Amino acid sequence: MGEYLINILGMASLLAVIALGIVLTYKMELIRQLQATVNNLKRSLDEMDEQSRLIVRTDMELNKTQEELDKKIAGLYALQRLSRAISTTLEESQIFKMIEATYLEELGFEKGCAFLWSETEKKFLLQMNIGYLEDEAEAIESSLDLNKDNYLELIKSERTLSSISKPMDTSLKEKIKQFFKVESFIISSILPKEGNKGFLFMGTQHLDTLINEGDEELITILANQLGQALENARLFEKTWRTQLDLEKKVEERTRDLTRVLNEVKNISNRKTDFVSSVSHELRTPLTSIKGYASILLTGKLGNLPPEIKDRLDKINRHSDELVHLVNDLLDIARIESGRVVMKREPLDLKSVVEKVVDLLSVQLKEKQVRLSSSIPEDANTIFADRSQIERVFINLIGNAIKFTPQKGKITIHTHKAQNGVQVDISDTGCGIPEEALEKIFEEFYRVDNLINQEAKGTGLGLTLVKHIVEAHNGKIWLKSKLNAGSTFSFTIPQPP
Amino acid sequence: MAIRIGIGLSTENDTLQAAQAAVRQARANIAAEKIDLAIVFSSIEFAHPSFLKTITSLLGQVTIVGCTGLGIISNEGIFKHGLVIMLLSLPEGVYFNTACVKDISAKSTASAGKELGEKLLYGFKNIRRDLSVIFSDGLLRDESGLLYGLQQRLGMSFPLAGASASDNLAFKKTYLYFNGEILSDAACGLLWGGKLNFGLGIKHGWRPLGKPRYVTKSSGNIVYEIDDVPAATIYKEYFASDLTKLRKELKRISILYPIGIYLAGEEEYLLRNILSIEDNGALVFQSDVPEGSPVRLMIGTKESCLAATSQAIDEVKNGLRGRTSDFVFIFDSASRYILLGRHANKELEIIKERLGKDTPIIGIYTYGEQAPLKSVNYQGRAYFHNQTIAILGMGA
Repeated sequence: MGEYLINILGMASLLAVIALGIVLTYKMELIRQLQATVNNLKRSLDEMDEQSRLIVRTDMELNKTQEELDKKIAGLYALQRLSRAISTTLEESQIFKMIEATYLEELGFEKGCAFLWSETEKKFLLQMNIGYLEDEAEAIESSLDLNKDNYLELIKSERTLSSISKPMDTSLKEKIKQFFKVESFIISSILPKEGNKGFLFMGTQHLDTLINEGDEELITILANQLGQALENARLFEKTWRTQLDLEKKVEERTRDLTRVLNEVKNISNRKTDFVSSVSHELRTPLTSIKGYASILLTGKLGNLPPEIKDRLDKINRHSDELVHLVNDLLDIARIESGRVVMKREPLDLKSVVEKVVDLLSVQLKEKQVRLSSSIPEDANTIFADRSQIERVFINLIGNAIKFTPQKGKITIHTHKAQNGVQVDISDTGCGIPEEALEKIFEEFYRVDNLINQEAKGTGLGLTLVKHIVEAHNGKIWLKSKLNAGSTFSFTIPQPP
Repeated sequence: MAIRIGIGLSTENDTLQAAQAAVRQARANIAAEKIDLAIVFSSIEFAHPSFLKTITSLLGQVTIVGCTGLGIISNEGIFKHGLVIMLLSLPEGVYFNTACVKDISAKSTASAGKELGEKLLYGFKNIRRDLSVIFSDGLLRDESGLLYGLQQRLGMSFPLAGASASDNLAFKKTYLYFNGEILSDAACGLLWGGKLNFGLGIKHGWRPLGKPRYVTKSSGNIVYEIDDVPAATIYKEYFASDLTKLRKELKRISILYPIGIYLAGEEEYLLRNILSIEDNGALVFQSDVPEGSPVRLMIGTKESCLAATSQAIDEVKNGLRGRTSDFVFIFDSASRYILLGRHANKELEIIKERLGKDTPIIGIYTYGEQAPLKSVNYQGRAYFHNQTIAILGMGA
């Protein structure tokens, strides 16, 4: 029984051991599986971490790019506004004042200054200072003095230098960093074509502000703008000064000319007065000479021998000429002094010409000169003083007859012109030499030719004609060629 | 009765002219004679005593609290240079007290925090205390200590929102405005009480990336080892870089890829920016990273950043429980300004759209934000945050 029990117990424990073994094996398998899962998890976690690194680095790059882009956009905006402000400033002293701290900040800097080299003082003069205290700026100025050759060379090279530009003298780079108390900087030359040149400095103390070529470009553009603006301002200043000088000169000359003109006017007035009074004084004795000669010629005071009568005739004729001359002179003087008022009225040109031609018919017949006239309807009515206009025609047609050879031709033609009616009187006469064209209307001028040597004349006819035409607000001129006839033209207004 | 608000802003270059213009505008905008408080934020270049003198000469002896920042925020927009001033006229039944603690580096930060707490509590007996708003020098080494000291006095779960002042990313000096004084190495604050409603939201939008790791050796804000190797190794590996290169790019890396501390139950990781890397590979953070913390490398995008803004507003609205706010404080991380770049205005647009475009807004870009954690595990305790936008809507 006991043995049986032991056997059963032995069996049972054997079974238990077997079962335990199975369970253990099973658990071991489970643990192995779990371990594998844990390992897998760990691996994926590591992989995930690896991916995260990629993400972070990419994200960092993206953010940097974005930051740079933002900075660039802000910089461009600032530059645009600044450019506008600078380019519209025409006063040199105001140009650098346009650069404000906010613009600098938007360009990515907190310190900035500008210097111009003064040739006369032989030193750099501070034009603008942002971000430096007064004594700091003074220290920079004196450091520039010590190294002025470096900076002058820099300006001369027309280059833009920065803390990142290569190749660059590193000792100068360090000096600049030290004196200007910055970590990064850009220096660009300011180069107006004339006058003091200089440079623009921008810098930052921040270690993490990255300067790149784009920044260099922006600052170069700004420096160029400054140079341009300085040039404009200086040019403007110069032009303005020249203009002032010019205005002053013009004023002086005008004053001189006015004085001279007044003198000339006075002289001319005095001449007119003189001619007028002398002519007057001449007329009285002339009248009595002519009167006595006429009385003597009538024979009322007794018959005269033919020799005396002949001489008296000459006295009488010459007196007539003299009276004529004096009258012309008086008329010219009166017109010149404005004492003659033109009694203007609407006139029919055709009738005026007919009347004058009628008056001159004897001379025309004598020389067998043909006279034709064409006066169209629209150029027929004029607004003038009848007797004065008749004198114009008498003088001009008379001259034409005088200088036209036998069987010559005279034409009178009128047409509408800009300021009324233009009258052209042409002849087939001897013409006028070129050198005489300008002087022909002058008083007492007579063209030197055969006819004038033979025929008598006062040299006042054309002067009077000119005065009359001009008193009517008209103009007179002539075209002529030696031996090819002359055309005298004048304009006279039409009725308003 | 609502709190009456008047906001004035100026971006003029001249400090005095800017202060005058902003005060006049704020004075014209507030529909009240009595002014109880002036909140002043400005960019760093305005931090000059004459600036505060100008304000008091125009307003009389008014309480002034504020700080400098990388930029200022108001309804009119975001300005890198400028100053904004908000005048408050409180209705009956709403109270506040201001206090300030100076020379923090000469004391322990925790004792400075306690001092600030005690001063704030002074005269606040028998009044319901609602909320504390504090401003601190953004270059303090141990902001968490300051916060801890303050909480020891005000209560560990007492609601708190705060901003660490910033400068123009030079990390040289940040300033606080407190009455007539311009202070560094200091903190100042406001304790609010009485019949006041508020809603506070804080979010960043950064997401964890890569393998989870553990802080194996740290002390305060210095992390020596992560996963038993020098802490900087994590950055070296991720950016395939050495220490010199890392240091050169530190500002960018610190802002874009901060360390996130996993907090059980919290929706978002608590972010920490790196201030510097020691030669032994230790990372110096802006605030504490406790030993044993599970940490991850974090990554953010413009979209996730703006989505977080929207979520923060949701939290503000939850806190207000349907009541409207009379004005809004924004403490926005300078990192976000940099990440968003030209799109920084979008964030403000979202806030204006969701909280009402006429609700007065005053804000500052910060080097750190303080606000409570949300899950019950932390019992509403306020922590120091990086990279977040903290939005505080207040109303009476």
